[in-house]
Amino acid sequence: MIKTEELQINIGPQHPSTHGVFRMLVTVDGETITDLKPVFGYLHRNHEQIAEVNTYLQNMPYTDRLDYFNSMANNHAYAIAVEKLAGIEVPERAEYIRVLMVELTRVLNHAGALGFLINDMGAWQTQLAFGMREREKILDLFESASGARLMCNYFRFGGVVRDLPDDFMPRLKDLLVAMPAFIDELERLLRENEILLQRSEGIGILPRDLAIAYSVTGPVLRASGVAYDVRKAEPYSVYDRFDFDVPVGSVGDVYDRILVRIEEMRQSKRIIEQIIEQLPDAQGGHINPKARQNVRPPVGDVYARVESPKGELGFYLVSDGSTKPYRYKVRAPSFINLTPLGDMCRGYKVADVVVILGSIDIVMGEVDR
Amino acid sequence: MDIQRGNIIVMDRRTGKLRAGQGLLQGLKVVWDHWAASFRKNENFTQIRGNFTVEYPDERLQLPQAYRNMPVLLYDDESGHELCTGCYQCQRICPPQVIHITQAKDPVTGKMVPAATEFIIEYDACMSCGFCAEVCPFDSIKMDHVFELSTADHDSLTMRKAQLNRPISYYTSIAPDLWEGVKAGAMKKLQGNIKRRPGVIGMAPSLTEKIKARRQELAEAAAAAPPAAAPAAPAAPAGKLTPEEKAAKLAAMKAANAAKKAGGEAAPAEAPAAELSPADAKAAKLAAIKAANAAKKAGGEAAPAEAPAAELSPADAKAAKLAAIKAANAAKKAAEAAPAVAAPTTGNGTAAPTDEKAARLAAIKAANAAKKAAEQGNNE
Repeated sequence: MIKTEELQINIGPQHPSTHGVFRMLVTVDGETITDLKPVFGYLHRNHEQIAEVNTYLQNMPYTDRLDYFNSMANNHAYAIAVEKLAGIEVPERAEYIRVLMVELTRVLNHAGALGFLINDMGAWQTQLAFGMREREKILDLFESASGARLMCNYFRFGGVVRDLPDDFMPRLKDLLVAMPAFIDELERLLRENEILLQRSEGIGILPRDLAIAYSVTGPVLRASGVAYDVRKAEPYSVYDRFDFDVPVGSVGDVYDRILVRIEEMRQSKRIIEQIIEQLPDAQGGHINPKARQNVRPPVGDVYARVESPKGELGFYLVSDGSTKPYRYKVRAPSFINLTPLGDMCRGYKVADVVVILGSIDIVMGEVDR
Repeated sequence: MDIQRGNIIVMDRRTGKLRAGQGLLQGLKVVWDHWAASFRKNENFTQIRGNFTVEYPDERLQLPQAYRNMPVLLYDDESGHELCTGCYQCQRICPPQVIHITQAKDPVTGKMVPAATEFIIEYDACMSCGFCAEVCPFDSIKMDHVFELSTADHDSLTMRKAQLNRPISYYTSIAPDLWEGVKAGAMKKLQGNIKRRPGVIGMAPSLTEKIKARRQELAEAAAAAPPAAAPAAPAAPAGKLTPEEKAAKLAAMKAANAAKKAGGEAAPAEAPAAELSPADAKAAKLAAIKAANAAKKAGGEAAPAEAPAAELSPADAKAAKLAAIKAANAAKKAAEAAPAVAAPTTGNGTAAPTDEKAARLAAIKAANAAKKAAEQGNNE
C-alpha cells in the first residue's frame, strides 16, 4: 500500500535565492507547501546595542549598513529622529537635497529589486543587468555628492554634509532623460510576458486584511490594495509640496507588486522633476550652521518614520540627556514584511516560494540588524 | 483614505490587447535591441542602450573630488611639517575606534607640543565614514582616493604615521577644489604650530631622518674643521707624504663620503618610490648609484695613489687632486638632487613629476661628471 507523508526541508540559509543568509523551514506535501517558518538571525550584528554605546552622530554611518541598498533613506529616517529629539531645524535647501537623494534611492532600489525578482524566476541576469545599469548611473551621482556609492553617510543633523557639486544637476537631467525610456522598456519587457504572468499571476496572494494585521508596509501593502504611504499619511520633510500619486494593486499577488514598483519609479521621477524646479528658489544652505553635530538631546523619546523604498522605516530613540542614545530601536520594513511569508506561501508550490520571497524585496542587513 | 496632491491609481493588470505569445515576442525584441546596440560604445547617459562597460584595470573612471576611501595625513611640501597637532578630535569621533594618537612632548621641558609622534590608523577596521576628515580642525586628515589596498594579512593594514603621510601637493592633485576651500585657514594654523615645535618634532618621518642626518653632519663639519690638522699630522710619519699628496688624499676621501652620501640619500627613496613611480625613481636611484660608483672609483684611484705617491710627480698629484675635487662636487650635487627625489615620491609618483625629472637629470649629470673626473685621474 502506498503511503505519503509530509517532509520537512530547509531552504537556505546558504542559498542564492534567499537574498542573504535566511532560512525557511518548509513542510511539503509532495510539491505543495503546507507550512513555512521563516528563521532569522544569521546576520545579527548587534546593531541596536552598538548604537547605544556610540554617540548620536557616530550611528549615522551604521545606519547605512542596515538596508545597504538604500543608505540614503536610512540616513534620512535617523536624521529626522534625532532632529525631532534635539529640536534641530533643517534649512529648506537641505530638505530638497534630502528628498532628491531619497527619491533617487527609490528608483535604484526598485530597478534592482525587479531585476533580482526576475532573476529568481529564472531569467538569469537579463533584466538584472538592465536594472543595474540604471542603478550605476544613480550611484555615480551619489558618489559625486557624498563620496561613496553605497555607504553614503551623507546626512547630518540639520542638513547634509556638503552641497551638491557643480556637475550634479546636468548629470541628473541627463539621467531623467534616460529614466522614462528605461521604465517604459521595463514595462514592455515584463508586463505582457506570458512566462512572467504564469509565474506571478495569482501567486503569493496577501489579502488586504491579513496585510494590515501583519503591519506590512511599503509596496507589498499597496499591492494588497491599501493606499497607505507615509509620505501621504504623515508628510515629513517637504513631501507636502509635491504632486504624486499612490499606486495600489487590486489582488495582492506577485504581479501586483511588480506593477506597483514600476509605477512608483514613475512617481519618483515626477517628484525629482518638481525638486529640480523648486530647488533654485529654496532658502538656506545645505546645512543649518547652528546645528551641533555632537548633540545632547533633552530627556525624552521620539519615534520618526519615513517611507523607505521597502516600507515604513522608523527609529525609536530614548534620550537620557547624555550624548549617547539610551535606547535605539529600528522598525525595519524588511523584517516586518517578511513575517507573513508563511501565510503567503501556504498552498503554493516549492518553486513559487523563491518568487514570493523575491517579491517582498528584503535585505537581510535590515532584517537581522 | 484621502490623499493630498495626488491620486490613488489602481494598477491596470492587463491591457488584454495582445494575443498569446505576443507579449513574449515584445519582450524578446527589447532584449534583441539591447544585444544589437551592445557593439557600440556609449558614454551618453541620456541613452539606455549601448555598451557602457568600463574595462576596469585598463580603463578607469575619473573619481569625484569628494570620493573618500581611507584617511591619510597631510604634511607641508615646503617645510616638511605635518598639519596634525595630535588634538585627538578624530580619535574621539571615530565610530569603529581605529585611530590611535601619541602626542609629542618637548624632550627638554616635557611639555606637550602641537604635534603627533605616532599616529596609527587600522585600515582593516576603518569604515571609511569620513568623520575624521570632517572633524579635523587643522585639515590634516583627508580621505585618499586609492582603493586598491588588498593584502593577504591584516597586520600590514595597520598604518603608522610614516605610511599615512602624504604631501599637500598630492592632495591638491586629487581634490583641488576641496583644498582651495580650506587652504588659507589650514596654512595659517600650521605656521602658528611650527613656531611651537622644537627641533624636528612634527616633521614627516620620511623627512625627519634626513633632516637629522643633515644637521648632525653640519655640526660635525663645524666641530671637525679646526682639529682636522691633528689627525692629518700623525698620518704624516706613516707615509712620507708631500702636502700635495695629503691634499689629494683628503679630497679623495671627501669625494668618497659625498658619493656615499649620495647613495645613502637615494636609497631610502627606493622603498616608497619603487611602488609608486617605478620608472622614474628607479632611474634616479640608478643614476645616483652610478654617480657614487664613479665617484668612488675616482676616490679609489686617487687613494691607492697615496702608496706610490712618492714616485708621483707634483703635477700628477695636482691633477689627481683636481679630479677628486671635481668628483666630490659632482657627487655632492647628486646628493643634493637625491632628497628632492625622495620627498615628493614618498606620497605619490604623480605629485611632482617635474621635480623628479630634474633630480634624475642632475643625478645623471653628476654621474657623468664623476666619470669624467675619474677618467682624467686615470689618464694623468
